[in-house]
Amino acid sequence: METKTVAVCMWSLGQGGLPVGTEEALTLGRKVASATGARLHLLVLGSLPDDCVETAGRFGVDDVDQIEDAALEAFSPDAYVEALAGYCQQESPALMIFSQAADTRVVAPRLAGRVGAGVVMNAVDVALGEGGGLQATASAYGGDTQMVYELSGAASYVVALSANALLPEPAEGGATQPGCRSIQVDLTGTNERIRVIEQARTEGPRLEDADIIVSGGRGLGGPENYKLIEQLAEALGGLAGASRPIVDEGWVDSSQQVGLTGKITRPALYLAAGISGASQHMAGCSAAKTIVAINKDPDAAIFRYASYGLVGDCLEILPELIRAARQ
Amino acid sequence: MRIVVCVKEVLDPDAVNNYALAGRLEIGEDGKSLTQTTIPRLMNGFDEQALEAALRLRDAGAEGRIGAVSVGPDAATILKHAAALGVDEIASVLMGEPSPDYHVVASLLAAYIRSSGDADLILCGRQASDDDQGVVPALICEALGMPLVTNARAIELAPAADEPTLRITRVTPDGDEVVEVPCPAVVTVSNELGEPRYPTAARKLAARRMKPEIITPEALALSPEALQPRVVAQRQFVPTVSGDCEFLPGETPAELADALIARLRQESVIS
Repeated sequence: METKTVAVCMWSLGQGGLPVGTEEALTLGRKVASATGARLHLLVLGSLPDDCVETAGRFGVDDVDQIEDAALEAFSPDAYVEALAGYCQQESPALMIFSQAADTRVVAPRLAGRVGAGVVMNAVDVALGEGGGLQATASAYGGDTQMVYELSGAASYVVALSANALLPEPAEGGATQPGCRSIQVDLTGTNERIRVIEQARTEGPRLEDADIIVSGGRGLGGPENYKLIEQLAEALGGLAGASRPIVDEGWVDSSQQVGLTGKITRPALYLAAGISGASQHMAGCSAAKTIVAINKDPDAAIFRYASYGLVGDCLEILPELIRAARQ
Repeated sequence: MRIVVCVKEVLDPDAVNNYALAGRLEIGEDGKSLTQTTIPRLMNGFDEQALEAALRLRDAGAEGRIGAVSVGPDAATILKHAAALGVDEIASVLMGEPSPDYHVVASLLAAYIRSSGDADLILCGRQASDDDQGVVPALICEALGMPLVTNARAIELAPAADEPTLRITRVTPDGDEVVEVPCPAVVTVSNELGEPRYPTAARKLAARRMKPEIITPEALALSPEALQPRVVAQRQFVPTVSGDCEFLPGETPAELADALIARLRQESVIS
């Protein structure tokens, strides 16, 4: 397979710095570009974040490409897909890498459908296979297994890299001085078909940004005991999260769900009380620096991920933790 | 209004999870299939919620037919479940391979929908609980030139619209968002939609007599390009987990709590 360009795609929507996950995506992009003798591009939709070119250089990017258009100022799936498809037509990248997030979960597979590329989401790695073609490894069954996919049969591929799949590593040979190119794509004919009636509003701080998270699961016994999770979170200066079963039961709002289909978090401390440790849940917290588990069952899966474990009834231990944390 | 719900049969993810956690998940000789026959097969949970969303639209007064379609070697069981829940048409697009490439699946689904009288609304689960890829809805929307709205927790017909329009509450990382989109559209449904209904005994009996329409890929007259797999599963494995947990000592809950807080402070994890 002849590989000419690997492009990492991102947009910051005027948020200042590079979005979370960009450095990880660049790390993967650098690895694939080196292995296949390709040039590494960083494609930015909309305005260029301040430190963008410098960071791109640190990660060994050859070219920073930018598509600027009024239609890209706010997130609009139709315009974004159109802009990316225009880029693919002009540059024919062999691989487009996205950092997986809610927006890219829509845009990446739509782009693949639009340009006839193959697509893999939830990727944890892309590497050269034995046959010389690219292979993508992605999590399946909520993280219980991983699947290796062979990427052949299409001229180009779109891959979304899971949050927390790898650690960012700047380019070994030192920083590059990427060239900056402006790419022109005509977006005048693009009309966003989805009309936003009520914008999503984050109320207060987000779990994704939290340094300390205390989460509860079914081991709490009932919704009335979730207040113990909130009290301990408050005592530790953190936020309260939840596992999917108690969200599905309606004990807490879905905005507090940590896991594959909820929030992907990366706190310094993740304390899980009464959570069994299903892979689906761990996909949302396994990047925590320190995981503490409290569970009655010493064989619970959660202890395989934890640095520290307390074996016991979380309903008895949580009030004591709240007391000790407040002292 | 015609609603088509795309459904997939999967291995029960909870059973897979239990086997994986017990270290007893078996992978077959082909290196990629989970072979334990004790793992039940069922309708993907998110797809069940997509069906529920279709039925709720009808309960709320949307007129028309609801169809369920599945691509795979044998979808009769889950399609009969869909029939028992109240869908009007069931269709099975036969594929020899148990897990064909998503591009091929989406091509077949789009071609079936086009050839069977089009749809005003195509509903899918947000992802399948086996491969978690969640790309088929996006590939269908592109194949049919429709907009895609993801992760719906509620779908209703927008009031006072000139043309059929959906009002959808979406789950986003920043909270709920409400959008409107004109039909036809592809919408994926998330678990926040809530518990799907159960079929009544009478409906189950009636559904037993309902036979899915069987459609062969040849009948859909797709181009070789549309049937060319692009992403082919080669191998599946169970990733290793580090697992060096230090169990903190303590006879009582208070001792355990003190030991943990002391350790976290000592390691400067908390202040």
